[in-house]
Order: sequence, then structure tokens, then C-alpha cells
Amino acid sequence: MTVSIKDGLKLFAIVVVFACVAFVCTFFLNFYLDALTVRDLVAEAALPLYEAQLLSAKLTCLISGLCLLLVSVVLVTFYIKLYLDSHAKQIGILKALGIPDIKIASGFWVFGLSVLIGGLIGFGGGYAFAPVVYGVMDGLDLPEVPIRFHGELLFFLVILPFLCFSAFSIAYALLKLRLPVSALLRGKEGKTAKVRASKKQRPFLTELFFGTLRSRPALAFFVAFACFCFSAMLQMGFSMKDLSSETMGITIAVMGVLLAACSLLLAMTMLVRSNAETIALMRASGYRLRDYWAAVLGGYHIPAFVGFAVGTVYQYGLLKLMLELVFKDVEIPDYSFDFVVFGVVLAVFVVLYELTTVLFTLSARKISIRALSTE
Amino acid sequence: MIVAQELTKIYGSGEAACGALKGVSLEIGKGECAVILGQSGSGKSTLLSVLSGLERPTAGKVICDGEEITAMNEKQLTDFRKRTVGFVFQQYFLLPHLTVEANVRLCADLAKNKDYGEIIRAVGLWEKRTRRPKELSGGEQQRVSIARALAKKPKVLFLDEPTGALDEETGRNVLDLLCKAQQEIGFTAVMVTHNPSIADMADKVFVMNSGKIADMRTNAQKKTAFEIGW
Repeated sequence: MTVSIKDGLKLFAIVVVFACVAFVCTFFLNFYLDALTVRDLVAEAALPLYEAQLLSAKLTCLISGLCLLLVSVVLVTFYIKLYLDSHAKQIGILKALGIPDIKIASGFWVFGLSVLIGGLIGFGGGYAFAPVVYGVMDGLDLPEVPIRFHGELLFFLVILPFLCFSAFSIAYALLKLRLPVSALLRGKEGKTAKVRASKKQRPFLTELFFGTLRSRPALAFFVAFACFCFSAMLQMGFSMKDLSSETMGITIAVMGVLLAACSLLLAMTMLVRSNAETIALMRASGYRLRDYWAAVLGGYHIPAFVGFAVGTVYQYGLLKLMLELVFKDVEIPDYSFDFVVFGVVLAVFVVLYELTTVLFTLSARKISIRALSTE
Repeated sequence: MIVAQELTKIYGSGEAACGALKGVSLEIGKGECAVILGQSGSGKSTLLSVLSGLERPTAGKVICDGEEITAMNEKQLTDFRKRTVGFVFQQYFLLPHLTVEANVRLCADLAKNKDYGEIIRAVGLWEKRTRRPKELSGGEQQRVSIARALAKKPKVLFLDEPTGALDEETGRNVLDLLCKAQQEIGFTAVMVTHNPSIADMADKVFVMNSGKIADMRTNAQKKTAFEIGW
């Protein structure tokens, strides 16, 4: 077996992201299903608010759930690719020994374990937090909604994703294993995007800055996504405490920080790993730490700040849209862009992002060209 | 130019400790070409790493270009590598997403060398300067890595099995290129190889075995890359 249970469990980022998916979906779908049972008890005057609550639950579940599900798929794909790239030689040896692709790929089912664990945590968390959502409804003079357990949610939000992700992991591994044995034994490098040669003659560090950024668009996406999550969910969390409840606001903010931390850590780890040779060579040649901090990790400031800006616009637009479309018939405090929250979140973001890049730069000091030569 | 005294390098500790260098001493003069010869695991690559300041010895002293590099801190060592040494590796270590020219500029910029184009011409890759490493053959990639090292105008060039991944004809061409560059520029070259024939091209040959220098000889009559066996 090429993949151990431990490898599956290492997918901490996916555990967290999928826990968030299951949490949000359990949270709102359970409420939606339970709320449907009390429709007959809702007073005529409270019907618009009741409908708005149902629509809001559906929309939140759809928007966040689908978005996070997509992120989980991308994360699993990335992680398997990373695993296959870093274990290409071992896998090549197994293939050279005549072990069929399907047998090697079947071991990759364990990557689905992270989805199962995340799903169970999120599902349990969703039920633990259910009284919060139900409490919001109680506060709005709507009929009391009893919390019921829905077994179908356990199947659709935990068991089915586990089976699908396991199958997807095996299928993706099979696809990657189609490479010839010789390419695997050579330790195939991950494909880099084709980058056009610049006509301008730029200093090496500038060339490296743009070259690194353009050669791995997927990593740039991840950095942007991490910063998007941080910006959007933290600002939304602070704004939501006035619109719904403080607990909801904190929950969203915490989820944002968790998602941002996981995506950013994964992106930075991959960035340092995929640029190990560049960093080692620069060190051997006499470049200083701050040079590769600026040239290798520095390029990612662009997607990071773009992600932050998009997150800011997104959270404002989404809240405005929800208030104008979903809660148009309901009396809710007016919502306008909060510049103070924006300023605070931006300041925290800048400090945390720079700190992360500095820490990863320091960790890159351990990479030596000698170690790479003897690999 | 390079003096090593009683170098010891031990990897691991306790029962797992493994001595890669066991009291190695040597001297290489300015402008000389030295070859460190040995089988796999003899400690030759470790010696190269220690002599070039890539690794610190467990004990012993290395003096390079009049500076005791074993007494330097990390910042001084980085500065020393920037000013003094160049590297050519068996695996080339070219940056895949950058062009030949940008790869050469990695070292040219460090030495503020504006004439790096001449070096790309000298290694015969001027026409291919806008290509990426994967668009080149193994020999061409090694020539890029040599151009990169030379663009820094190093005082000492360390070469770790530079022909290890090349066929005979390409290997000879690469060695010939290196010899010509050394005669022209006058840098000191320290080359690690397991191929005994290459030793005939050197001024000095250090034969390593089990972490020690088992033999040392000088060649009165050096051979060219096309005269040696393979």
C-alpha cells in the first residue's frame, strides 16, 4: 500500500473546510426542514418574516455549502497531486515492479477519510449550534420550532461525500498514474503554466517575482481565496451581529479565520515546496533571505490583496442583496458599509499575512541544495 | 587558495552517528584544477559542500581565499558565497519557468555583471537564450548551468559530478568548455567525480575512500577533454 491512514489524516485543511461545509449545511437545512413543519402555526402577519427565514436558510446553505464543497474538491485534488508529485519515485518503483495502477490507486481511498472526519465534526457541530438558529426565530415572535434529527442529512452531508471523495481520489490517482514509469522514476516535476518570455530585460529578482507568480496560477488562486475568506467572513461576521445575533456573527468570523488559515497554510507550504530548488540555489549562490522573501513569496502579495478587496466587495454586496431581496418585507436595521470594521480587518490582515510569509521564509532556510542533490 | 585542516563531518548522533569525513586535510593552489575522486559514499560530495561553505564541518578548519569560512556566521557565509564561489551541479538546478537568459542572470546580477551575454555566446546558447530549460537537451542545460556559474565571475568554481548525467560526447564537450573557461578566466576549480579518467585533466587529484584522503597526486602533463578515456 502506498498511502497510509496517516497520510489521509494529514489533510487537516480538508477536515476543516469540510467540517465548515457540513456545519453550515446541517445548521440551515435542519432548520429549514423543521421550520416547514410549523408553517400552519405561523400567523398571517408573520408570514413574510417566516418565508424570509426559510429563503435565507436555503440561500445561505446553497451559497456557502456549494462554494465550500467546490473548495474541498479543489483541496483534495491539490493534495493528491502534491502527494503524487512528491512520491513519484516510490510509485514509479511500484509500477516498474509490475503492480497494476488500480491496485496503487485503490490506496488513495484514505483521502476520503478527511472528508468523513470533517463531515462528522461539522454535522455534530451543526446540531450543537442548532438552538442558536432556532433561538433567532423564537426572538422574532414566530412559532417555536422543535429540533429534530434528520437521518437523511447524515447520509447526504457525511456518508455520501465520504464515498464520493474516496471514489474521486481513486479516479484522480488513476488518471495521474497514466504517466510512464520512466517519468515517475525521474521524479516528474509538477507542470508549470507556459509563461511568455518577457521582451523587456528585467533584473533577475523582478523576473523571478513575475515568473513565480505566473507559473503557478492555482497557487495564486489559493492565496487569493484564503484572503477572500478572511476579508469577507470576518467583515460579514462583525456586520451580522447587528443584523442577526452576536453568536451567528462570531460563528461566521471564526469559520472565515479557519478557512483562511487552512487555505493560506496549504498554499504557502506548496509554494515553498514547489520552489525548494529555487530557494536552495539562491542560498547557495549568495542571495539573502530577504531576497527570496521578496522575489518568491512577494509575488503573491498581488493575489492576496486582490482576494481581500474582492472579499470586501462580496460581503457588502451579499449582505445588501440579502437585505433587499430576501428581507425586503421585514423590518431590520439599515445596513451600510462599515469603514471602521474594514480598517481593523485590513490592519489585522496585513500583520497576519506578512507574519505568515516571514515564518515561511524562515522555514525555507532548512532547504539545502545538498539535500536536494542527494534525494 | 583553499586550505582544509583536519576536517571531520559526522551526521546523526549516538549509535546512528555516521562519519562522512574523518580528518581530511588538503591544499589547492590559486588557479589550479583539483579533482576529488571516489566511489559512492566515500565522502567526496560532503567534502565539496564543506569546502564551499554549504555545510559546516563538525570539526576542522577551511580557509578559502584567505578567509576562514568555518569561523563565519550565516550572514558572512552568504556574503562569502556571493563574492567568491560558483556551483555546477549534476542535476543542473535550473529554474524551469525562467528563460536561459534569466537563469544566467541569477548569478550575473549578484556580481553586477552586465556582459553575461558574452558568456551565453561562449557556451553556444545565444540563439536559444529565450528558451526554457525543458526545451533544451541535457548537455545544453548543463551548459546553461555553467554559464550561470561563470556569470558570477567566481574565484572558485565547485563542480559536483558535472558530467554525471551526460553521455560521453556531451560530457567531453562540457569538460572542454570548462577547461577553456578556466584557462581564460583563471578561477580555481574543484570537481567531484567518480570517473577516474576525468582526473587526468586535473592539476591535483585527491582520491577519497571511507571519508579519508587515500591518495593524492599531481599531474605534470594534463590531458584535454578529448584525450582522456571515458
